[in-house]
Amino acid sequence: MSIPIIEVKKLKKYFPVRANILFMQKEYIRAVENVSFKIYPQETVGLVGESGCGKTTIGRMIVHLEQPTRGDIYYTGENTRRFRGKQLKAYRKKIQYIFQDPYSSLNPRKIVYNIISMGLRNFHIIKDNRKRKEKVSEILEQVGLPPDYLFNYPHEFSGGQRQRISIARTIAVKPDLIICDEPVSALDVSIQAQVINLLKELKNELYLSILFISHDLALVKHISDRILVMYRGYIVESAPSASLFENTSHPYTKALISAIPEPGLDAHKGRIILKGDVTAVTGEIKGCCFEDRCYMSRDICKREPPLGRQLIPGHVSYCHFAEKV
Amino acid sequence: MFKSSPETTRRIKRFFKIKRAIVSLFILIILYVISFFSELIANDKPILIQYNGKLYFFAAYNLYPDKTFGGNYDTETQYRELSKTDRFTSTKGNFILFPPIPYSPYTSNLNELTKNPPTPPDGRHLLGTDDRGRDVFARLLYGFRVSMSFAIILLIIEIIIGVIIGALQGYSGGFFDLTAQRFIEILSALPFLYIIILTGNIFGQGFNTLIIVMSIFNWIGLSYYIRAEFLRIKKFQFVDAAKLLGTGDIKILFSEILPNALVPIITFAPFSLIAAIQTLSALDYLGFGLPAPTPSWGELMRQGMEHLSSFWLSVYPFIALFLTLLLLAFVGEGLREAMDPKEYARME
Ligand SMILES: Nc1ncnc2c1ncn2[C@@H]1O[C@H](COP(=O)(O)OP(=O)(O)OP(=O)(O)O)[C@@H](O)[C@H]1O
Ligand code: SF4
Ligand SMILES: [Mg+2]
Repeated sequence: MSIPIIEVKKLKKYFPVRANILFMQKEYIRAVENVSFKIYPQETVGLVGESGCGKTTIGRMIVHLEQPTRGDIYYTGENTRRFRGKQLKAYRKKIQYIFQDPYSSLNPRKIVYNIISMGLRNFHIIKDNRKRKEKVSEILEQVGLPPDYLFNYPHEFSGGQRQRISIARTIAVKPDLIICDEPVSALDVSIQAQVINLLKELKNELYLSILFISHDLALVKHISDRILVMYRGYIVESAPSASLFENTSHPYTKALISAIPEPGLDAHKGRIILKGDVTAVTGEIKGCCFEDRCYMSRDICKREPPLGRQLIPGHVSYCHFAEKV
Repeated sequence: MFKSSPETTRRIKRFFKIKRAIVSLFILIILYVISFFSELIANDKPILIQYNGKLYFFAAYNLYPDKTFGGNYDTETQYRELSKTDRFTSTKGNFILFPPIPYSPYTSNLNELTKNPPTPPDGRHLLGTDDRGRDVFARLLYGFRVSMSFAIILLIIEIIIGVIIGALQGYSGGFFDLTAQRFIEILSALPFLYIIILTGNIFGQGFNTLIIVMSIFNWIGLSYYIRAEFLRIKKFQFVDAAKLLGTGDIKILFSEILPNALVPIITFAPFSLIAAIQTLSALDYLGFGLPAPTPSWGELMRQGMEHLSSFWLSVYPFIALFLTLLLLAFVGEGLREAMDPKEYARME
């Protein structure tokens, strides 16, 4: 295969939390632990996991909105760690981001035209005012909004329309990769499908790669070529979409899949109910990150961290008992 | 084509609904505009002179030497004397049209007064004269212009400094924020009055000295609000989005965040004007404010203190000060209400 657009190697992010000042002990929230993955051109990679497992943090580190504590991010083979100034600007033009909250991600004081043309101006893509206006109208149509909305303010739009504006401003700068951070989780179910389909269409039209972040495995399955399952900052399973569902090899993934309601079937049939709750991790985990909630855990799980094992080509699981899941 | 943002429109509409505020603002603006024509309202220089068939306009703005009217000197005409001279009255049709209040705030009208100044209000001097025989009404009128102009200039400087420093602190956070905060604490611990007296002695009391010294301290209050707003707004995702779309830091500061942080500036403004006028009056009262002949309310009130029986020296400037501050307070309260109707209940 070709060079990945983005390769993430052993990425870690610890957030310091105010700890025991008296003894000068620092405590950290371990938001992301040793995460590695690749995104190839025109590939859609899904990143799923419960709320707080570190999905957004990974996305933000990729676009340099957050500094990794450890680890590196490679853009077409080049380490981005030292990117500053012009280089960073050029990199950001290639990697765009769609934010989760359609309300706080659009500046309430800016009209749609200024929001969408921002990248065109800053990256000097179109310098001529009239041409830029034409281009913005064109993009508005491309994302399914009437071009006469150009001079309206974000307040005047619904959540779905706002997300389309967000999409419009990212595709305007012709990126290679768009990171979609739960782009539809704030929207009505009926509108979710429309926005997802728009993303799919744009992906094919513009030869984009997408990193699709969501807590909804069913949604991720629908759009992704490959899926990464995250738990507490760790990636626990990584596989092509179909294989993840057919050859599930991690107890956590299995629990997630069992929680997807299937039409026609009894919703509770076969559902795996996990004990306990996700707790924020501040201390180091010795064994498996899922150990305290796993229904298959044994002694070894407490002692030794499971290493990633490839059971089928392209299908990696981080579980000592992957074969038995 | 361009519409103002709906939130702004709503706020403006809400402000216009608050009668007391809009009326107060209207009165203040009118008065301030009028005060720029004080020279045509209260002055001992005529608006119009007809002399030997020729018309002379606005003696307040044009210097007409004595020779123009048949005198012997190159110096400015003494118009009141002129109107009594034979060379003027002998020709038919010659006349002088004085402003409605024919007294300047600077001239002592000693030779016209029957008693020793300060004289009480009478038909000629509606609000009496001060201890140098100057017309109190004229001094109040000019004093309004001085006070308001002083406060407005101070406000503009305050906004510029306060916004820049508050914005940088809030946006950058971290070390710069902490250092600046300590610096501000030191600054606000300095004895203001002492420095005013000191600089007044070194550089001479004057409008500019006072503006500069007060500007050094004035921005602090506003910068706190701006800092807090920037700390809050920089966390919004549209700021991140702008960054990812290649917007530079300075542009993010002024074009993304600042337009969302205008509320504290707008609601702050009237109260800042109030504070400035109060401070100026207090300093004038103490004698550390504007230098001597400048018409000033505080200085009049001090005369009132010295001549306790002359009520017009303390009551009228007090009423003028009170009304101005009251109108400003109404405007400020209305603006606050219009910006955020939940948080501030109207004083009804
Ligand atoms: N700036 C920060 N400072 C401190 N802790 C943070 C910060 N950002 C994230 N965290 C913590 O890191 C963990 C991972 O957060 P993150 O936002 O990446 O999760 P997420 O998977 O995107 O969750 P969600 O589905 O709720 O968006 C959480 O425990 C969160 O509290
Ligand atoms: S390693 Fe052990 S605890 Fe972890 S998922 Fe596998 S069985 Fe469960
Ligand atoms: Mg998130």
